[in-house]
Amino acid sequence: MVYVMFMFLFGLVLGLAAVASNPSPYFAALGLVAVAGMGCGVLVGHGGSFLSLVLFLIYLGGMLVVFAYSAALAAEPYPEGWGSWPVLGVMMAYMVGVCAAAGLFWGGWYKGAWVSADEFAEFSVFRGDIGGVALMYSVGGGVLAMGAWVLLLTLFVVLELTRGLSRGALRAV
Amino acid sequence: MTPTHFAFSSTFLLGLAGLAFHRTHLLSALLCLEGMMLSLFIALSLWTLQLNSVSFSASPMLLLAFSACEASAGLALLVATARTHGTDRLQSLNLLQC
Repeated sequence: MVYVMFMFLFGLVLGLAAVASNPSPYFAALGLVAVAGMGCGVLVGHGGSFLSLVLFLIYLGGMLVVFAYSAALAAEPYPEGWGSWPVLGVMMAYMVGVCAAAGLFWGGWYKGAWVSADEFAEFSVFRGDIGGVALMYSVGGGVLAMGAWVLLLTLFVVLELTRGLSRGALRAV
Repeated sequence: MTPTHFAFSSTFLLGLAGLAFHRTHLLSALLCLEGMMLSLFIALSLWTLQLNSVSFSASPMLLLAFSACEASAGLALLVATARTHGTDRLQSLNLLQC
């Protein structure tokens, strides 16, 4: 399990280095999908099955689909992936930087962190993260109302930004 | 410092470096912002799971809701610039007349 967790963590860092190394938006969206998948694996390894499911369904299924669709607005005739040299060079520079930073902490790792949630709670009926999220729906009424208000406000912001016919926030000159 | 702490800290800093240094497309900058938000989600979730403080596990959900707001506003800006300028390259956004 430790090896699987190390593989997921390395995939997380490698995937975000691939996103940050300025490829074309097609490939950057693909890299962010891979990062989200690796993050799901990390959360499952730590015992947060419900948060991992939320990350997989809401983030990967909802938001990243919109991002991958919006990559069509940034289309290029010659998309630049990780096979071309400038992108690969920047990505290798980032990974060398990460490895140098890991070398600073090498040998001083705190190894007791692989304990997952609810490891010592035998005979517990529900997982810890499910109970916490249910607690938000139980007594967190104010912050839920604030979240609903923010989402409604964002709807009007989006409608105002993308309104056409020279009445929007950004006008077609 | 545990390996998981190092992993999400380095992903946050990598997203920040990509947002700061590489700005060819507006969508690339937005994707780096999303990577930073993803590392923050993983960080808050790991805080909950490693410390067994289950009542804190509502905060990654709220962070996900707010990052949905951020992503939708950014994509609306992307659509608006694609309509006015015809492209989303950041070099063409400082033109006075388009």
